[in-house]
Amino acid sequence: MPRNRNIVNAQLMNTKSAPAPAGNLHPLAAKSMSGAEVIVQVLADEGVDVMFGYSGGAILPVYDAVFRYNATHPNDDGSEPLPLIVPANEQGAGFMAAGYARASGKVGVAVVTSGPGATNMVTPVRDSMADSIPMVVICGQVGVAAIGSDAFQEAPVSTIMGACAKHVFLVTDASLLESTLRTAFEIARSGRPGPVVVDVPKDVQNTALTFLGHGQLPIPGYRARLRNVESAHLDDAGCASFFEALAQAERPLIYAGGGVIASAAAEALRAFVADFGLPVTTTLMGLGAFDTTDPLALHFLGMHGTAYANYAVEDCDFVLTLGARFDDRVAGVPDKFAPGAKFIAQVDIDPAEIGKVKMVDWHHIGDLRRTLERLREYGAAHGIHPRQDGRYAAWHAHIAELKRVHALNYDHDSELIQPYAVIEAINRITDGRAVISTGVGQHQMWAAQYFDFREPRHWLSSGSMGTMGFGLPAAIGAQFARRDATVIDIDGDGSIRMNLGELETVTTYGLPVKIVLLNNRGDGMVRQWQKLFFKGRFASSDKSLHTKDFIKAVQADGFTWVRRLERKEELADTIAEFLAFDGPAFLEVMIDPDAGVYPMVGPGMSYAQMITGDFIASRQHAAGDETLRNDMF
Amino acid sequence: MNAVTQHTLTIMLQNETGALVRVAGLFASRSYNIDSLNVAATADPAISKLVLSIRGDDQAVVQIVRQTRKLIDVLEVSHQAAVA
Repeated sequence: MPRNRNIVNAQLMNTKSAPAPAGNLHPLAAKSMSGAEVIVQVLADEGVDVMFGYSGGAILPVYDAVFRYNATHPNDDGSEPLPLIVPANEQGAGFMAAGYARASGKVGVAVVTSGPGATNMVTPVRDSMADSIPMVVICGQVGVAAIGSDAFQEAPVSTIMGACAKHVFLVTDASLLESTLRTAFEIARSGRPGPVVVDVPKDVQNTALTFLGHGQLPIPGYRARLRNVESAHLDDAGCASFFEALAQAERPLIYAGGGVIASAAAEALRAFVADFGLPVTTTLMGLGAFDTTDPLALHFLGMHGTAYANYAVEDCDFVLTLGARFDDRVAGVPDKFAPGAKFIAQVDIDPAEIGKVKMVDWHHIGDLRRTLERLREYGAAHGIHPRQDGRYAAWHAHIAELKRVHALNYDHDSELIQPYAVIEAINRITDGRAVISTGVGQHQMWAAQYFDFREPRHWLSSGSMGTMGFGLPAAIGAQFARRDATVIDIDGDGSIRMNLGELETVTTYGLPVKIVLLNNRGDGMVRQWQKLFFKGRFASSDKSLHTKDFIKAVQADGFTWVRRLERKEELADTIAEFLAFDGPAFLEVMIDPDAGVYPMVGPGMSYAQMITGDFIASRQHAAGDETLRNDMF
Repeated sequence: MNAVTQHTLTIMLQNETGALVRVAGLFASRSYNIDSLNVAATADPAISKLVLSIRGDDQAVVQIVRQTRKLIDVLEVSHQAAVA
């Protein structure tokens, strides 16, 4: 122990006393700045080009510094270098930052005031943590001396956020403000990404400081562990044992999660599949990691995944898990997940995910992209090319047959507008290349099922937390990240209500966001569960008597293209006109209120017990429906 | 099901605001009862040493140790399984 501690001490000392990199001095080094000005300068240095937030007393010095920075550093076209986008509610700012981060891969930034500003930010922070989204949130805080005194607009942010975020800093020593900010960005984007909260008391923002232009906090434990995983090399023995197991397999399958997108490994995954021919199913978070229109793509798996993906999981004899975590929506019964798999391999950057839910036979902790490239290299050097050898011809034929027989399907003859048809009609035009955000519930699952996703970062959805109200602010943030892209929020009437105030944000900033409201007059997913598990008692989920006129609400917020679609025969033309409109547009579609989400693997059920509904072919009669229990959420 | 035994973890922790709360919060969130906890300063004022004991089966304790290593201010975790 003493020996190790000395090493740690040495690391702390080194980092603390590290001089500025020679010949690389920041042009503003040694300049006098207030704490607030230091914050803004570090944001600019980190490449931030937009931030989201709502003002208030304890963050005013920072807002003032942003204002002055923008006034004195205009872009060539006269625009602001650090535009600060103001939502209706701080939760909106948080999801805008998250939408920006999800669509771009860059760190999203939100800046809010103390107390309620910070607590309104808890949901987006937790949501981003659960989906591994990089974000830096700067919160104002009451003065250092007042912390803990129940001061006006005070909340225990470090305690609250400490339980939700990847990390939280409370800056009580102003001399550490600059290095803390820089370290927050480092932590947010490195390793398994996540949100970092920096709580900055108002007096720290007002402290006169000298800008250094370099330096980070010593976090030797984190950095040492990060170096280990980032430099982890899959050695020959590891590659050999992987390929030995693969050589035994006849029906191998890749199960790819959001980690493939977070680690920018989508290209590497495609190359890996091109070489080795393993079919791919992704998680909800992994949509777009692999082109869903590829013949070897099985779209997504799990509770509401495609029947053919779930059957392929049942049928496979080998699973390669990439940046996925056997979540309960995928592996509701871990022991029965991929029951025929003789070998499960797992690659992840987070050591705590290995064996957390399901024991695996082989694993590598490290960067996904490099691991996939290493396996390809090893395979090429050792003449391993099962795809070319036709080794999986029968398996590929089986996959194609599963996709044909158990394709997604719905009631095409109904007089009522089917939500699936709406998504299909949009997808025919956008062709898998639009950026799609969603709320949470049935519409989210329909969007996940019926849209194609050709590229990563086109699917923005609250996967793990399942936060209703995510869709609209996330679309706004994404439009700032992808100014030229078609950004569509597919929303539900329950979800969009949650952050309806952000409609005005769309028009205030003139964003061409397209909003599709699939209105089934109620909380459809809740009703679906109440039908299945609560004998049809629709407690609080039916909103047919609610009087909201969304059209008027949207018009009140300045939308000019606003339409309610109620007739099935007008669907195709209306959607074409809606998508072609150059500016913000809102389309409300009155859908069949009884439309359900199928397939469905009930909670606590195995894939063999999947219910496919009336229009998707089931391979076997779902056994044991009676055992569905309402306490298994 | 593995047998539940007593485990002692030694955690070297950066002496930062809220660091102890984050360690305790992690164990609480996974439903561990901390049977004993000792926090002491070390020769370096920037580092604290935590010794805590919990009961759990080996596999679950390996998991919580991995999660503890995800905390940013944790420098290192060593784990000795005591006799039941």
